[in-house]
Amino acid sequence: MAKYILKRFIMMIATILIISTLTFVLMHSIPGSPFDEERTSNPTIQANLEKFYKLDEPMHVQYLYYLKSIVTFDFGPSIKKPNESVNELLARGFPISFELGMVTILVALLSGTILGTLAALRHNGIIDYLAMTFAVVGISVPNFVLATLLIQQVAVTWELLPAATWSSPLHMILPILALATGPTAIIARLTRSSMLEVLTQDYIKMANAKGLSPIRIVIRHALRNALMPVVTIMGTMLAGILTGTFVIEKIFAIPGMGKYFVESINNRDYPVIMGSTVFYSAFLVFMLFLVDIVYGFLDPRIKLHRKEGDA
Amino acid sequence: MKKWLSLFVVALFVLVLSACTATKDAGEKPSTETGGDKEEAGTETESLPTEKVLHLNNGNEPTSFDPSVGFDAVSWNSLNNLMEGLVRLSKDHLAEPATAEKVDVSDDGLTYTFTIHDDAKWSNGDPVLASDFVYGWLHMLNPETASPAAFLAYFIEGAEAYNSGTGTADAVAIKAVEDKVLEVKLNTPTEAFLNIVTNPSFFPVNEKVATENPTWFAEADSFVGNGPFKLAAWEHDVSLTFEKNEHYWDADTVKLDKVEWAMVDDTNTEYQMYKTGELDVSDVPAELADQLMNDPELKNVDQAGLYFYRFNVSQEPFTNKKIRQAFGLAVNQQEIVEFVTKNGEKPAEGFVPYGFIGPDGKEFRETAGKLTGFDAEKAKTLLAEGMTEEGYTELPEVVLTYSTNEAHKKIAEALQSKFKEVLGVDVALQNVEASVFGAEQKEFKYQLSRSSFLFDYADPVNALESFITGSSMNRTTWSNPDFDKLISDIKNETDEAKRWAMLIEADALLMEEMPIFPIYYYNQVTLEKPSVSGIVRHPVGYLDLKWADKN
Repeated sequence: MAKYILKRFIMMIATILIISTLTFVLMHSIPGSPFDEERTSNPTIQANLEKFYKLDEPMHVQYLYYLKSIVTFDFGPSIKKPNESVNELLARGFPISFELGMVTILVALLSGTILGTLAALRHNGIIDYLAMTFAVVGISVPNFVLATLLIQQVAVTWELLPAATWSSPLHMILPILALATGPTAIIARLTRSSMLEVLTQDYIKMANAKGLSPIRIVIRHALRNALMPVVTIMGTMLAGILTGTFVIEKIFAIPGMGKYFVESINNRDYPVIMGSTVFYSAFLVFMLFLVDIVYGFLDPRIKLHRKEGDA
Repeated sequence: MKKWLSLFVVALFVLVLSACTATKDAGEKPSTETGGDKEEAGTETESLPTEKVLHLNNGNEPTSFDPSVGFDAVSWNSLNNLMEGLVRLSKDHLAEPATAEKVDVSDDGLTYTFTIHDDAKWSNGDPVLASDFVYGWLHMLNPETASPAAFLAYFIEGAEAYNSGTGTADAVAIKAVEDKVLEVKLNTPTEAFLNIVTNPSFFPVNEKVATENPTWFAEADSFVGNGPFKLAAWEHDVSLTFEKNEHYWDADTVKLDKVEWAMVDDTNTEYQMYKTGELDVSDVPAELADQLMNDPELKNVDQAGLYFYRFNVSQEPFTNKKIRQAFGLAVNQQEIVEFVTKNGEKPAEGFVPYGFIGPDGKEFRETAGKLTGFDAEKAKTLLAEGMTEEGYTELPEVVLTYSTNEAHKKIAEALQSKFKEVLGVDVALQNVEASVFGAEQKEFKYQLSRSSFLFDYADPVNALESFITGSSMNRTTWSNPDFDKLISDIKNETDEAKRWAMLIEADALLMEEMPIFPIYYYNQVTLEKPSVSGIVRHPVGYLDLKWADKN
């Protein structure tokens, strides 16, 4: 086990290095610079700004600075928010995105599993159709459409909840609903299909024959195996949602870190691009690693050391 | 029966869902002071009937409250109310003495002497001194500050040399001759100088505070201003709270007790918050512009700036003046503002927008008259003539480029159909990501491309000088010695009437040569609750709440 973890850890570091080098090459190969704005541009001012952010140095020197910033995890000041370092931006935005994402994942996991299980148990029944209709709608309606609709109906027309900002538990309900619908639908569909498969297995028949209560069979025997595909997608889903979602955060004016992924690239804000990319990739790789560990607990047939042999 | 059971389960999970959110958050932030903003504001008004709180939206976190650094509306619309320069724009958009009570200009127009108000104080009680201005202005000009606004101060003797690293701070002609007297010397007499120094980059910086704490502007606790309001709280990326500044020299004029700024980036959300009463002022979402245009709560004022297109005069067929004119005259500005943008803008008839009053008291635009506009017949004739001149039997391919954005796309499509309809020319459209577009336009890679201009200071020359030979704002490769001479004469002319006449001549020459064609002049369209009054928006300048009131 320890050997496996160590090996995975080294792989993680290598992956992050490759990702960040690719990011560096890509972000410098797209045309445009942080200072290519519509408004007045004076050559002297441009030169002062480039010097301030060390953009006047040759590319290989910049790459060394860049590697240094990754190793020390200190990305320097943002170009668009010169008062603040990238670390400060991430430290402020991430807890908020994490909070929103964690609740969203819990809601999606809970409701998705319940919906999917119910649908499988009532296969081709009315509940199945309702749940799957919900799932199809949930997957196809983009969350920003849902978000705007929710604000319009719940906040503006019915005046039940505040429209936006992030200042009280009440303010959290609408963004969570908007954000959780998609993942709920995906989880519900996955649970349903794998549940249907599991329910036909011999060991379930066996459990039935033993006269166990249906609830016990579903929860203890069927669900445990049916959840495997859900765990598989959980790694990427967690990394994606916990590090913030640009659109939802923008619509609800939530001060998370989702916006930095998109805006930093639009602005060519190099330090923020690398900060957010390195952070995200490290987080994603770590989540995938966690998922592998969880497999072992959920399904004793999967042995970690056997995977070692595969790799 | 079983259906009911499952319905119950669904209901249960909805319950769990809401319980989940409540407990999770309750644990994290037990005492968020902005909680239930609306209700809180309501009870406050009941207990303290005099408390006037204005709820505004700043859109985003300010770039920086360092006056030298935050060179944008998102920083300066708010900062303009926390600090004050020597002069301030009046309700009629004219530079009037503010922190300086008296401004003396020497006869040659080169030396300005400002006498600072005796009552002028910082929000921490310190007196505002001439040395605070010297400190702030030199901070802006220091090349290490890398201030994007520094070029505004290049009118001052020695300023450009210091900023470009060839001169010293001592050689910059900004001197505190007495505690409360500041003297500034200019390179050339500059008509707009007083207007330029209303710009937030010319705000003073409390030398004592800034020397002790170089990042004094980054947090509410350390922020020290000298404006009508003081910064009471700043939750980054979330909100700003301003309170009336009792140390302000003109505090009696200020009516609001508090200004609460949200940071909502999405215009639709902003509008919905305006509808629920969480905001007092809102922008107009593009999709609703049409139906809100006649709303009684809508305010539409000029903004000095315009939307226009640049020709590249080095690329065929736009090397030919008549072909440029033909394309320019085929554009129907009136139709574009009426049916495409639908935001109440004024169609452009020249390069200089509305909002500039001449020495004769008349609008620049009215004196200059209509210099360009839709004329299908003339456009066709000019195209034919131009093609003969160049010996074209068929017009070289024309590609129109715009930066990726829904609004730009609509206008580009309107232009494309007009060129087809009027001139019978098929123009190809190309959209490019904004930063790439910005870089490639400066490298003259496009034949015909969209552009915009916003004034840095209130003088028509600010816009017109973009097109002198080699200017970094030219971006058309157009060069005209007559135009260059005209601009240089304008800058040295001290007779106001003569100068104004030359400005009008320059606008006319630009439209005649047509290296660009204008589309519409910008405006500022906002929704304001009827209880709000006195918010001042300048054509050039930033939001002013000094006279704002709420009942």
